[in-house]
Amino acid sequence: MDIILAAVGDAFTWQALLAIVVGTWAGIIIGGLPGLGSVVGLTIFLPFTFGMDTITGMALLIGVYCGSVYGGSITAILINTPGTPQSAATTFDGYPMTQQGRIGEALGWATFASFFGGVLSCVILIFCAPQLAKFAVNFGSIEVFALICLAMMCIVGVSKDSIMKGLVCGMIGFFLSMVGADPITGANRFTFGSYALSSGLTLIPVVVGAFALSEIFMRFASRDDPGAKIPEAKLRFPRLGEWFKRVIELVRGSLIGSFIGALPGTGAAAAAFISYATAQKLSPRREHMGQGEPDGIIASESSNNAVTGSSFIPTLALGIPGDVVTAMMMGAMVIHGITPGVRLMVDQAQTVYALFVVLIIVNVAMLILSKPSIGLFRYLFRLHQGYVMAAIVMFSFIGAATVRGNPLDLVVAAVTGILAYALRRAGYPLAPLVIGMVLGPELESSLRRGLLIKNGDFLGFFTHSGISMALFSLLALFIVWTVWSSLTQWRQSSANARRAESDASK
Amino acid sequence: MKPMRHSLALMVLAGASHTAQAQETLEIIVPFAAGGATDIVARSFEPIFSEQLGVTSVIRNLAGASATVGTSEVAKSEGNPNIIGYEPAGALSIQPSLKDLSYGPDSFTYICRTTSNPMFLMVSKSSDIEDFDQLIAASQEQPLLYGSSGPGTLPQLAVAALVGESDLEASHIPYSGSGPAMNALAGNEIQIMADTETILENYDLRPLAVFAHHRIEGYEDVPTISELGLPEMEFSVWQGLVAPKGISDERKTQYSEACQATLESDRFKSFAENAKAGIAYLGPDEFESFVKERFEANKQVLRDTGLLD
Repeated sequence: MDIILAAVGDAFTWQALLAIVVGTWAGIIIGGLPGLGSVVGLTIFLPFTFGMDTITGMALLIGVYCGSVYGGSITAILINTPGTPQSAATTFDGYPMTQQGRIGEALGWATFASFFGGVLSCVILIFCAPQLAKFAVNFGSIEVFALICLAMMCIVGVSKDSIMKGLVCGMIGFFLSMVGADPITGANRFTFGSYALSSGLTLIPVVVGAFALSEIFMRFASRDDPGAKIPEAKLRFPRLGEWFKRVIELVRGSLIGSFIGALPGTGAAAAAFISYATAQKLSPRREHMGQGEPDGIIASESSNNAVTGSSFIPTLALGIPGDVVTAMMMGAMVIHGITPGVRLMVDQAQTVYALFVVLIIVNVAMLILSKPSIGLFRYLFRLHQGYVMAAIVMFSFIGAATVRGNPLDLVVAAVTGILAYALRRAGYPLAPLVIGMVLGPELESSLRRGLLIKNGDFLGFFTHSGISMALFSLLALFIVWTVWSSLTQWRQSSANARRAESDASK
Repeated sequence: MKPMRHSLALMVLAGASHTAQAQETLEIIVPFAAGGATDIVARSFEPIFSEQLGVTSVIRNLAGASATVGTSEVAKSEGNPNIIGYEPAGALSIQPSLKDLSYGPDSFTYICRTTSNPMFLMVSKSSDIEDFDQLIAASQEQPLLYGSSGPGTLPQLAVAALVGESDLEASHIPYSGSGPAMNALAGNEIQIMADTETILENYDLRPLAVFAHHRIEGYEDVPTISELGLPEMEFSVWQGLVAPKGISDERKTQYSEACQATLESDRFKSFAENAKAGIAYLGPDEFESFVKERFEANKQVLRDTGLLD
């Protein structure tokens, strides 16, 4: 008990609180600017933490991390351009709501779902970290492959008009992720002998091109009033009755996010897509999803923010960083003399508890700071649309270049932007492209590792473990369900057409 | 429009000051993304190093293609005295053999080796394998799997060399880094891994042997490979500073003296103790011959294991 009180004391110093407020606010703004995501935010703030004490430094970084995951949703909703890849799934329902003039409601749901997901995952982190870490260890390559296949089902769900077009884009994304070094043999693929391409294409430049740049091209190409203002951003929190009605969606999204976050090598973007795909099958309002249904925003935002808390589970329980972001946090811990590892919880209990407290305060700070941050975006977006878009182009390129410092990434962003614009004009949805790009590398390497482990035995691959068999059956069920429901839909619509025909002939 | 104009002016100023500054600052290239294990060491090294030199320095992370993108940036800046690279072992001594790169071991002015940590052969603490003979026996019954942090990395090379020289039956599964590989080891997807003391201490692992010439302080009961009746093997994870070719000898001496002073400073020593980075200074000439010797040795392992023809 003493140790918990001491930890709370550590977290409630004025330095730590100031770091939380500054970090969270900066995180929301950085996350909201397309191109600048969690990794760029942490890279900017990492050097500042060297001179701080451990808790203050970590508080700053956790604030930036959680804030940036939430901030991505603001631009996703306002201008159909996710600020970070993690919020790509928020555009599916967020932007249609904006077009319908329900902008305040959309932002309110995104904010509330982010807060809910963040806090629920903190609770899970505090109470179930060791158990969940032990369970997550059972997710080897084959189980992760099955899980990622499930997430790929999301491609079908978000290709509204034509599943074929969606699949084409998904495969383009998947293919783009294969350029560069082969993850198993290290040999170069699809580089056409160019050394620059051997470092591969990374996610941020592609996302920036596919969403931010193509959206800008679309806006400038559209004939209706190029000087049109971006709609006023207001924030309206859902009323108690409203969120009570959707509490199952909130809990489901948060639990999916918390679990995916505990697995290594998946991350918040994958969690959001898996959660969205699940909501499309299970939400009572699923037929409205993709047309401006708050359940879609909830699915995406509750799960991606739930990853923030639970990504610390493998880090704290096993010392294994779950993704790039937690790897950077582990680096920051090492600088402050804390070595993450299996004994961290025992040796540094007070620090760990203080981190838990910080995580909860960060989520509360995020809820409070959401209003002034959205106010700031409203102020920025009050300018002529041309200036806003020009600034977004600039930030997009800064973000693309900062990730690796590689000039190739600027070219990639520009080329993807032009290609994406052409695809959009031809009616191809772009979200599947990003889904393919996000999930592709892990899908490929987990499949190939699994086959190496099984010596190329495909049957053994599918019957590897109870978890993998359950996941593969679920996948088969999903596919049968989708085919079945589209068949009945087709039969119904053709029956209607026949009836209409016979009505007309009468 | 006022805020617009102000911010534009500010941006121009920021841009101008950056270019003005860039001519006098020392650029330290780290060929990994910020926050990685090598980057953390480089960032602790950099402030003390630049203090010793009396210049301002900035770290530039230039990642990609197994650290070769950043490394070739150093190699192609021939004659530029204001750029150096904080390099990992793989980019200098393995990748040039595997890939068609614009640089080789002869493309640099070697400054110093900073750290070096011997690698251990490890299994999970939860396994019942207690020593190397049991490992061989278990692998004869059923072939084992060993992990690595990627294709063509030191963890792969070390175990591959061991498989080639002993009766160990094991095949390679590459992961995207040490973290995911450790997760796989904890879940018994793989059984063997070779890595440094940092990894050994942070996770529940049992060392079976060390890839070094003599036993390591703190691990006196862990035998070396040659004590197991096998040919001597040395694999260690090291880092060092290199500059482009064509810089003056005076500059080279300045750098290596500053490097040595940094490594001997209390600040860096206490960091190294926390991060379990073994300080292991080598001067310019020793470092150069060390890298070339490692380059040849690794090339031989790659050939023996069929990774290179």
